[in-house]
Amino acid sequence: MNDFLSRRNFFKLAGAGIAASTVSKVAMAALPEIVSAESANTQTPLHPDTGRPYNPVVTLNGWSLPWRMNNGVKEFHLVAEPVVREIAPGMKAHLWGYNGQSPGPTIEVVEGDKVRIFVTNRLPEVTSVHWHGQPVPNGMDGVSGLTQPAIAPGKTFVYEFEAKRAGSFMYHPHADEMTQMAMGLMGSWVTHPKNPKFMPVDRDFIFLLNAYDIDPGSYTPKINTMLDFNLWTWNSRAFPGIDPLVVRKNDRVRIRVGNLTMTNHPIHLHGHEFQVTGTDGGWVPPTARWPEVTTDIGVGQMRAIEFVANNPGDWAFHCHKSHHTMNAMGHQVPTLLGVQQGDLVDKISNLVPDYMAMGETGMAEMSDMAAMMPMPLPENTLPMMTGKGQFGDVNMGGMFSTLKVREGLAKGDYKDPGHYQFPKGTLAYEFVGDAPEPPRQSATDEKAAVEVQVRKPTGHAGH
Amino acid sequence: MKFFRIMLTCVSVSLALGGCATFSQDGGFDGVKKTSAEHIKQEIVWSKTEAEQKAVADRVAELLKTPLNADSAVQLALLNNKDLQASFYQLGISEADVVQAGRLPNPKFSMLYARNDGDYKIEQALTFNIFSLVTMPKMLEIERSNFEKTKRSVALDVLNLAHETRLAYFNAVAANERLSYSEQVKESAEASAELANRMVKAGNWNALEQATEQSFYAEAIVEYANSKNQQTSAHEALSRLLALPLDQLVLEKRLPDLPQTIDELHAYEKTAFEQRLDLQAMRLETQALAKQLGLTKTTRFINVLEIGPARVLEGRRGDPYKKGVDISFELPLFDWGSAKVAKAEATYMQAVNRTAQLAINAQSEIREAYSRYQTNYEVAKHYRDEIVPLRKKVLQENQLRYNGMLISPFELFANARAQVASVNSYIATLNEFWLAETALQMSLIGSASKEGK
Repeated sequence: MNDFLSRRNFFKLAGAGIAASTVSKVAMAALPEIVSAESANTQTPLHPDTGRPYNPVVTLNGWSLPWRMNNGVKEFHLVAEPVVREIAPGMKAHLWGYNGQSPGPTIEVVEGDKVRIFVTNRLPEVTSVHWHGQPVPNGMDGVSGLTQPAIAPGKTFVYEFEAKRAGSFMYHPHADEMTQMAMGLMGSWVTHPKNPKFMPVDRDFIFLLNAYDIDPGSYTPKINTMLDFNLWTWNSRAFPGIDPLVVRKNDRVRIRVGNLTMTNHPIHLHGHEFQVTGTDGGWVPPTARWPEVTTDIGVGQMRAIEFVANNPGDWAFHCHKSHHTMNAMGHQVPTLLGVQQGDLVDKISNLVPDYMAMGETGMAEMSDMAAMMPMPLPENTLPMMTGKGQFGDVNMGGMFSTLKVREGLAKGDYKDPGHYQFPKGTLAYEFVGDAPEPPRQSATDEKAAVEVQVRKPTGHAGH
Repeated sequence: MKFFRIMLTCVSVSLALGGCATFSQDGGFDGVKKTSAEHIKQEIVWSKTEAEQKAVADRVAELLKTPLNADSAVQLALLNNKDLQASFYQLGISEADVVQAGRLPNPKFSMLYARNDGDYKIEQALTFNIFSLVTMPKMLEIERSNFEKTKRSVALDVLNLAHETRLAYFNAVAANERLSYSEQVKESAEASAELANRMVKAGNWNALEQATEQSFYAEAIVEYANSKNQQTSAHEALSRLLALPLDQLVLEKRLPDLPQTIDELHAYEKTAFEQRLDLQAMRLETQALAKQLGLTKTTRFINVLEIGPARVLEGRRGDPYKKGVDISFELPLFDWGSAKVAKAEATYMQAVNRTAQLAINAQSEIREAYSRYQTNYEVAKHYRDEIVPLRKKVLQENQLRYNGMLISPFELFANARAQVASVNSYIATLNEFWLAETALQMSLIGSASKEGK
């Protein structure tokens, strides 16, 4: 995380690559240059230097795409191409993305902007782009076959429309989308309100929920997996690869989350109540909002939540499906809780020399063991649970990050402020002495309350 | 005396014709030694005297001091196997036949005595089968040929024993290796079955999962019992060949490694016909039968021609004896010898055809043995270089997945069992290779015995 918020690091590929070979030089000269990102870290927001002013968003572990103004039209150039995305330190995935990363860069425009987007296809198959949630002319909706011919490999298509409605949107292919979305081809879109004073916030974050099934030791997602994914990611990053959301105390914060996985995600924030202020359908009227600490984001939906970060600390922010805060694990691994194994290890290691007993007291011991002794994993694999906090193992993975609320941060300072320093008397502590006996329901039921009584079936009499 | 002069003539004629056959110094054993030395480097000893037996016992004790390899096991068998000693005595039997054939038949004395009222008739004759003087040199040649054949066949017994001992040795070592692996499998299956029991006790598993895991253990027990039994059989087979009790046998831990390369087939085909002892023996037998046929042809009319001095008294007891010669021979009135000749001819032709078939079989056996040798080499090499390392790699990769809690410990155990199975298969194919190699060597010497095939 040292290079968190490193300077925006672009490398420019003007007129290079496949596009050059399929589009004439003259035509290419008419295209905006291709800008690409090589880092998976959160980049500083892109402040507009041309066009209408707006308050830019921060794309979690991502970046926003620069544009050029052409006769009053904002021109962007998206290139769909194979990319290598670091899911978290120690693991890289072979994905499809836009302009060097998956998800692609966030496109930020202002309500009423005339937008022209060049889409160059450097994938091995046809593609198209659907501007999810936006009111566009039917012929710009990007459903291949239905509203346009698919973009063949090597070809560049142009989408032109007006960003009519402010809000949070996504873009993704609508051609062989099962494959292309499973491969990570997607991006965020923000249309800022024309009036920068409309629903202003101090910090505006955006990311997409996505999921991959990458077998331990391999690099490419299994695109046919429907539900049993093993990597639950935000912007194609898994904990501990997801950057923290750093905010100043009392900042008004907006977090926009889009769900392009195949299941819902109850996104839960600790320490604060928030309101859902927007969906991809528009802004929620203030009278219709209600307080929440968890909002369930359905498949294909986008939610914008807002709150005042009035509670300093390092607050967990995560999907509440507990397997979604884990990395790759064996879903068929039997429960070994309470099964003593130590005395069998010697016999077993006759055949399996490196065998170690695990799971007897729970899964957390895995982190301990990994720390205690070198316990190698398959290559290119993240531990099932990992991460260190100031008090030890966090035992998390997947869709997990932290909201770091600190006093006195500078405006626009998103640098990781480190561990929270707890004021005296605000940290849970160990009780020293004899713990009082907890009251039980009834003295006669004491045994039943301690031991689980398993009644075994003795016949079919009760059936 | 004329009577004895004739006898003397007979004997001297016979000696001149056949030469006197006597017992040799080595009893034919040197020839056997020489032949077997062409094929194996081990020594053979025909221990007839107590001193020789003592020396053999010392040598056996010496050999038992270190774990046996294939060569020392063969040496032990050659020294200690009683059947082989019995074979050596076959040399004595055969040589005695030679000596016997070179000796003249004993002279025959016959007497007729009749009396009638003071009249006597007495005929006395000392006759000698002079026809044997004609047949003796041929008989001697036949027996000598037979003796040669016996030497070849005793040498073949030596090499057969060496062959069988090698087979038994490899089987025994392989059985040891298999047993130790199946013991490991059994132990860890036991551990995982116990783990399964504890899973049920903790409430984490149901009866189905437990039963499934238990059944691996149950099968491992059977596998172990079978391996144990095979090991006992293999060791007993070796024990019989070495004529030594099991508790004295300590074998090397592992089978010898596969050789780097193997020879081409034509190397074996070329030498085969000069080397095959069974072919040599069969040729000698055919030669002997040819001589036998010749003999039968020359003697077809006469079986016995006996001649000797005779004296006759006829009349009063005091009358003088009349002296003369008694000659008798069989009249071929009913048996012109044609049946004998036909039989000898048929026997000879039978041998000729058998020899021809044996030569054809020998060629085929060598090709077959080579194919088995070469195939087993390739298969064992494939197991060693491909299957076992792959299984090992799979186990290692699964170990990593177990570390990451990606697979169950039971899946890991099942994998480990599969890995062991691949090692066991390698041992089995390595064993097969050494058996095939031994069989190939034997196919160059004679028809391989059934054992180990």
